[in-house]
Amino acid sequence: MINVPAIAVLGLHKSFGGNQAVQGVNFEVKQGEIFSLLGPNGAGKTTTISMLSCLLRPDEGDAHVMGHSIRSDPTGVKSVLGVVPQDLALYEDLTARENLSFWGKMYGLRGSKLKLRVDEVLEVIGLRDRANERVNKYSGGMKRRVNIGVALLHKPKVIYMDEPTVGIDPQSRRNILDSVVALKNEGMTVLYTTHYMEEAQELSDHVAIMDHGKLIACGTHEELVKLVGQQTRIDLTLNGDSENVMGAWKNIDGVSRVSSEDGLVSVLVKDSNQILPHLFEAAAQLSIRITSVDIREPNLEALFLHLTGRALRD
Amino acid sequence: MKAFDIAFKDLTRSFRSAFAVVFMFGVPLLVTGMFYFMFGNIASNGEFTLPKTKVVIANLDEGGPKFQVNPKNIPGGKKADTMGDLIVNILQSEDMADLIEVTLVPDAETARSSVDNQINQVAIIIPSDFSHQFADVDGKAVIEFYQDPTLTLGPAIMRSILNRFMDGMAGVKIAVNVFLDEADSSEAMLTGQVVQQYLKVSLSENENVEEELLDVRAPSSGEIDKETETQNLLLNIIGPIMGGMMVFYAYFTGTSTAQSILREEEERTLPRLFTTPTSQTTILAGKFLSVFMTVGVQVFVLLVSAHFLFKIQWGDYLSVILMSAGIIFSASSFGIFVNSFLKNTKQGGVLFGGVLTVTGMIGMIKIFAMNSPIAAKMGDTISLLVPQGWAIRGLMQAMNSEPINEILITMLASLLWSAVFFAVGVWRFNKRYT
Ligand SMILES: Nc1ncnc2c1ncn2[C@@H]1O[C@H](COP(=O)(O)OP(=O)(O)OP(=O)(O)O)[C@@H](O)[C@H]1O
Ligand SMILES: [Mg+2]
Repeated sequence: MINVPAIAVLGLHKSFGGNQAVQGVNFEVKQGEIFSLLGPNGAGKTTTISMLSCLLRPDEGDAHVMGHSIRSDPTGVKSVLGVVPQDLALYEDLTARENLSFWGKMYGLRGSKLKLRVDEVLEVIGLRDRANERVNKYSGGMKRRVNIGVALLHKPKVIYMDEPTVGIDPQSRRNILDSVVALKNEGMTVLYTTHYMEEAQELSDHVAIMDHGKLIACGTHEELVKLVGQQTRIDLTLNGDSENVMGAWKNIDGVSRVSSEDGLVSVLVKDSNQILPHLFEAAAQLSIRITSVDIREPNLEALFLHLTGRALRD
Repeated sequence: MKAFDIAFKDLTRSFRSAFAVVFMFGVPLLVTGMFYFMFGNIASNGEFTLPKTKVVIANLDEGGPKFQVNPKNIPGGKKADTMGDLIVNILQSEDMADLIEVTLVPDAETARSSVDNQINQVAIIIPSDFSHQFADVDGKAVIEFYQDPTLTLGPAIMRSILNRFMDGMAGVKIAVNVFLDEADSSEAMLTGQVVQQYLKVSLSENENVEEELLDVRAPSSGEIDKETETQNLLLNIIGPIMGGMMVFYAYFTGTSTAQSILREEEERTLPRLFTTPTSQTTILAGKFLSVFMTVGVQVFVLLVSAHFLFKIQWGDYLSVILMSAGIIFSASSFGIFVNSFLKNTKQGGVLFGGVLTVTGMIGMIKIFAMNSPIAAKMGDTISLLVPQGWAIRGLMQAMNSEPINEILITMLASLLWSAVFFAVGVWRFNKRYT
């Protein structure tokens, strides 16, 4: 058990009708690390998680969670697993305590052990003093925390968190990100999906970038950033027709890529200090005004742009 | 164990929902309560205080050779020389004084015209050969029942009294012949009822006519318990209504509780349950169990509260247990069955508005048609096309103290429905989630 990977994914495929949601995904998550699946909406993150939690049967491929195959030993998988689904899955007309208590029983906890764990989890998610209120009286962030709490009750070895910070206030978000790190420190393995680049960057030991059902890159943050060749991204907005000026910029030495989306032109460069004057010069020659400039040092977002030609945020 | 945890969780949720509680307990009790107060203003003084029905009687009976009754056994203790006298005495007795006000007139014409002139509401004309016909094996003893066609409640009560009278005279050939001012369809049904009543009475042969008659009219105490009498009259109406409501809403509860499977699917808690180390069999068993338990609690509470609120006698323990089992199993499995055909809860409206209401109404035809025997007879057959009909049948059988093996047969029929519904429902849900 010591040496098996927490999660080993081997060529998972899943289609819905003609829509190939997941197309041959492979990755490995080491025990005790936080592994992020980063990708835009519809990339196939939830579909992958669903297969890994035995909710969806893969069309092809297999995966092992702590050595248990999702195909041949789903019960084994479920017993080592805690799942935080993307959509809240709680009984809103029950209190937080009642919810935790019920789900604890579903994980096989009983009696005083259950009571103790419920109290501990309430402490972790910071809802001890409001535990006896019904969930439908909670704010979105509090609900999210209960949603996470449910998955922690049986102290799983592996926990999946599918976009746990979507649509909540910054304070709850901070609380959740901190608790993810706390889980890691307790020795849990976390598979975390998000479309927030900053979250993946801050939390993860390893990041896999997913798009259109495929992993397009996988590695540590440093490894991934290196893939872009330490390039800096310059985002500019222009006053006037961008077509000509983009053509001109592409020909500047040291510019590796120019793309535009929603009126924002992105330029990938080796050294922004050296290139920036040339960009202004070329624009001036075409009588185009640059109205804003945003310089972004290499990060995962730049990598995504580099690999797909699209921005990660949509 | 986990299955019970799931069921208890559902039970908690159901009883925490004001909407569910209102529909499970409030509505059926309320509707019945409405009828209860409509038919008898019990609340004020605990007595039955309907407006009195004014009855005019023309007793023309000249007596028959074989008629002898011990006056001691006649309510009021008056002497009765003829069958006609007996009826008059009964209607004039103190026990009836709360319900009807009797005037005696010498001839039929006066009686009829006093109804026509709206002085009285009902005229009862006992023909001159009444005792004679009564005693004659081939004879037909006929009472003329003449009513103001614009009135319903007063005459209905009179009819009820006369019907009870005839019930008591099981085996006696007697009929009330209803003459009507105007022939409209509802009154035609009324005629039908009397005819049927007559047939029923004359078909059930009884050797000991007098004893039977007097036994019923004059219980051993020698006095009719007035409260019991009015209560019985009331409960003949309230009992079946409450029973019908209970069955209707038990099916409603079965269906809406079973719908929680679909609701949990949409609330994402069902998929989440599938990610816990709990087998699909256990999860579905828990969900099904919660349906049976919720309906069970509902039926139990309704039976008990209707008994105390409306003094409804549901029958002896064994009958009640059998018929409750019939209701609980069929209502629950019906809910599981119909929901297994739905894609989502949005389609549930069709279920509640359509399937449940229509089948429920069909099942209750018998109760609606209580006062019109032709419809009742038809309804009896039609209602058995739906499981609710069988549930109601068992309930009525228990209330009417029918033999236990009859009730057992009805319950087995209900269980058969249940078994089929359950098998199909379970099979479909199992398939859905694998
Ligand atoms: N049950 C389903 N039936 C049909 N298509 C589905 C189903 N679930 C997902 N899809 C499709 O599969 C693709 C991947 O969806 P998925 O939910 O896995 O994406 P995601 O990465 O989780 O996106 P998001 O960030 O929006 O949650 C999408 O095109 C989606 O429409
Ligand atoms: Mg998703």
